[in-house]
Amino acid sequence: MEQESPNKFLPYMRKDRLPHIFCTGCGNGTIISAFLKGMQKAEMDFENIAMVSGIGCSSRIPGYMECDSLHTTHGRALSFATGLKVSNPDLDVVVFSGDGDAASIGGNHLIHAARKNIDLTVICINNNIYGMTGGQISPTSPKGSIGTTAPYGTDDYPFKLAELVAAAGATYSARWTTVQIDNLVGSIKKALKNPGFSFVEVASQCPTYFGRKNKLRTPTAMAVTMKMNTVFKSEADRMREKDLEGKIIVGEFADKQRPDYTDNIQKLSEAKSGGKTLRYSAYMDDI
Amino acid sequence: MIYIDENLCKGCHLCVFMCYKNVYAISSKPNKKGVLLPYVKFEERCTNCGVCEVVCPDQAITVNVNKNWWVGEDTNFNPKFSTGKKE
Repeated sequence: MEQESPNKFLPYMRKDRLPHIFCTGCGNGTIISAFLKGMQKAEMDFENIAMVSGIGCSSRIPGYMECDSLHTTHGRALSFATGLKVSNPDLDVVVFSGDGDAASIGGNHLIHAARKNIDLTVICINNNIYGMTGGQISPTSPKGSIGTTAPYGTDDYPFKLAELVAAAGATYSARWTTVQIDNLVGSIKKALKNPGFSFVEVASQCPTYFGRKNKLRTPTAMAVTMKMNTVFKSEADRMREKDLEGKIIVGEFADKQRPDYTDNIQKLSEAKSGGKTLRYSAYMDDI
Repeated sequence: MIYIDENLCKGCHLCVFMCYKNVYAISSKPNKKGVLLPYVKFEERCTNCGVCEVVCPDQAITVNVNKNWWVGEDTNFNPKFSTGKKE
């Protein structure tokens, strides 16, 4: 039966490592499929893609994909990806990152990568909690949510990552949830094709830690809550701030064109030394 | 046909929630892993939209329905787009 009709996404994955270790109903698996479908729609070459990740549940995704992947230190995935992109500008570098990885410990790397407009595709999986270490409150936890480090509910105001990155100067920035499949796939396709820093934040469910603490124990309950709390951007522009509390605003927050970091480096190199950067590299013989 | 891989499914029932046409139903008996597997109850309702394939976190569902040919043009795509092989 399996040979008759294999799954469409399994050829891209390392089959000896399946089934993966994500919990039942975790959104990470959905985002793997959505990324693969978006890549297929964008007609990218899968062997030309390099995946970079930091530390966290979501950063285990490149380990399950059958392409070149790099598992780096906590929060520094964007720094490693910048080096990869500058040294080999033809590579399509995709960064998978969680909310703790991108917003809390690597927050400066994120906004400065957006400011410099490095040609990366960042997919940030935002599950509102530190899932791997036992359910601590993360910078994107909504106000009033309960975690291990906040047993009476947190009072802090969460980061709005997609707006933050758009304000820092990214050329493409969008936020979707895991229940809006078609929009997510189209957004990933657009982000992969976009030259410049492109950022897709995916609000995901974590039934094991976020759901268990906040009385949403099953994956379906979390998906229903996420679907109910979703407000589209065009609608949210016309709503008051009081009504938007606790809602997830979805949509595209930036879509523009700007000169790219690697192109600027090549242009400077050509103007000053008459060739591309690699031609005068000390490591040219090794390459 | 709609195939569900029993070795990969972990029983999160997101496919039951996400299907717009309510094709799936939950079986009453657990399998040997203790998972209440979903099964295809109303296959004639399926419109081949492909949402359950993408939403399945364990890549267990395959939809191969020859209805809606205008939606189903992606069903037999080439998984490796590059022309040359690595080996």
